[in-house]
Amino acid sequence: MDPYALVRDTIYRSTLFLDRQDWTRWLAECDDAFQYAIRAWSPEINKDVTYLWLDRNGLVNLVKLLPKHNTDHSPLTRHTSVYTIDVDENGQNAKAVSSVIVYQNMLDGINSHIDAGESRLFLVGKYNDTFKIEDDRARFLSRELRIENRRLDKGSHWPI
Amino acid sequence: MAAKNHRQWTAEPKLQPSEWVDSRIYSDARIFEEEQEKIFKRTWIPVCHESELSNAYDFRTTSIAREPIIVCRGPDNEVRAFLNVCPHRGMIIERRPAGSFLEGQPSGNPKRMTCMFHAWQYDMRGNCVYISREKEGFQDRLCKEEVGLRRLRCEVKFGGFIWVNLDDNPQVSLEDWAGPAFACLRKSLEAEPLEVFHYHKAIVNSNYKLWHDTNCEFYHDFMHYHNRVTGFNDAYFARKNQAFEHGHVVVGTFEVNYEKYEGFESRAALSFPHLPPNQWYMIDLFPGMNFNLRGSALRCDIVTPLAPDKVMIEFRGLGLKSDTVQDRQTRINHHNSIWGPFGRNLHEDLLGVQGQGTTMLPGSEPRRILHGRHENQTIHDENGMRHYYAEWGRWMNRKPSRPEEPFSEAMSVAAE
Repeated sequence: MDPYALVRDTIYRSTLFLDRQDWTRWLAECDDAFQYAIRAWSPEINKDVTYLWLDRNGLVNLVKLLPKHNTDHSPLTRHTSVYTIDVDENGQNAKAVSSVIVYQNMLDGINSHIDAGESRLFLVGKYNDTFKIEDDRARFLSRELRIENRRLDKGSHWPI
Repeated sequence: MAAKNHRQWTAEPKLQPSEWVDSRIYSDARIFEEEQEKIFKRTWIPVCHESELSNAYDFRTTSIAREPIIVCRGPDNEVRAFLNVCPHRGMIIERRPAGSFLEGQPSGNPKRMTCMFHAWQYDMRGNCVYISREKEGFQDRLCKEEVGLRRLRCEVKFGGFIWVNLDDNPQVSLEDWAGPAFACLRKSLEAEPLEVFHYHKAIVNSNYKLWHDTNCEFYHDFMHYHNRVTGFNDAYFARKNQAFEHGHVVVGTFEVNYEKYEGFESRAALSFPHLPPNQWYMIDLFPGMNFNLRGSALRCDIVTPLAPDKVMIEFRGLGLKSDTVQDRQTRINHHNSIWGPFGRNLHEDLLGVQGQGTTMLPGSEPRRILHGRHENQTIHDENGMRHYYAEWGRWMNRKPSRPEEPFSEAMSVAAE
């Protein structure tokens, strides 16, 4: 199968899983060696900042414990556009860069009587993904979400 | 008693007057304006950390009580603060959040603060060193020597934080202001240089004092699953809230069991200098600054009140400047897994303070907000908030429980 199509489909499919908070199926798209990070450049302190960094086990624990935490349940909707895909010569690994915009669809985060039903821009950034391609599947080896935001207000408990 | 009617709901509780506050202190526009003048323009505020200006000619911009401020490091390595306002036409001089004056700007030369509007230039001591077409326009009526920047009180202290006071004649020195409160951590924070590794900000619709309340009362640990499983034991409940002069409070330490939260690890290997493993200290400074050390990472919250019902909180995380790359990454993970914008606790804290803000909007009915728990000044005692609001009452000359009345020292003493 076309490795470019495999990568593209995996990115878009995982976006749908993340939007549905179907963490199990999202993690099924990730290799055992998967690494996940949310990072940004902060001109304020003149440094790259890491807002979250987890391996696959860390993500499994994170989503498992979500029901124990008090959380803003306003659903997130990701608009992802795959910009570039580079597949290595042997067709076994790939890199992709996608634009991502995340909207927060207000529910219970502030004042549900007033805000519920409104959509607000939450994050702007890019997914920098790497993949392992085998058996006609592309699996995430890593995902770095590089966001432009440093103003993050209430933040989120969820993988983005 | 069952649910109440309006008279019962708004009646004063059967507690001492210092054990509750009137919710108007969180929502009244006049009180908010008074706080800017009487408190924020007269107290020491940490605006950033020295590691954000590590080289000569580095600068950082900020604001206190709506006054724009620039902090810069001179060629003599001194850090100085000025109003970020050009004395010519009132233009903000530097628009970026941070940077270096070693680079020239479109309107000006390297090593100068240049107002882009008319190209007036200032050196790192705030002296005006260039007025464009000075003689042609001002002849001998005004010269550059007469139009320096407005300098501000500025000190680097308590682990390298940069403190600014808009008052030229502060009531107390910075050392006297905060030194006793920092005593518990001073050795650890000053053993070697620190470095900021984390920055983000939140703007939430709530009053700045409610954020400070969240930081200085730990009764709300019931909201945090992480804190319950890693903390709730005899040593946790024995932690003391110690009040210090000027409205500050220090929450004493205990050993946190991080491993009890699935996937988390002990922080013992990266403890700050001179600290036993996995300790957790909190220093809450009046009127709303917080220094929070969880063993391997220091967090600092700086509030900038924007309106009665709106506050910006800047969050910084710090480690040791000498960290290896690997140690720094571990320290960052320790910090962000709990306190980052995608961490487990901060999101919950911000939901809490936002929820309070939602019920205390300007014009909402005045209600009593209770600070009446007494537990021998231990962790779930609310003596920290009572101590804070007694100080607030002094600065504002208003009773927190009846803000239309002048403050009386007797009420603050009665409760303790």
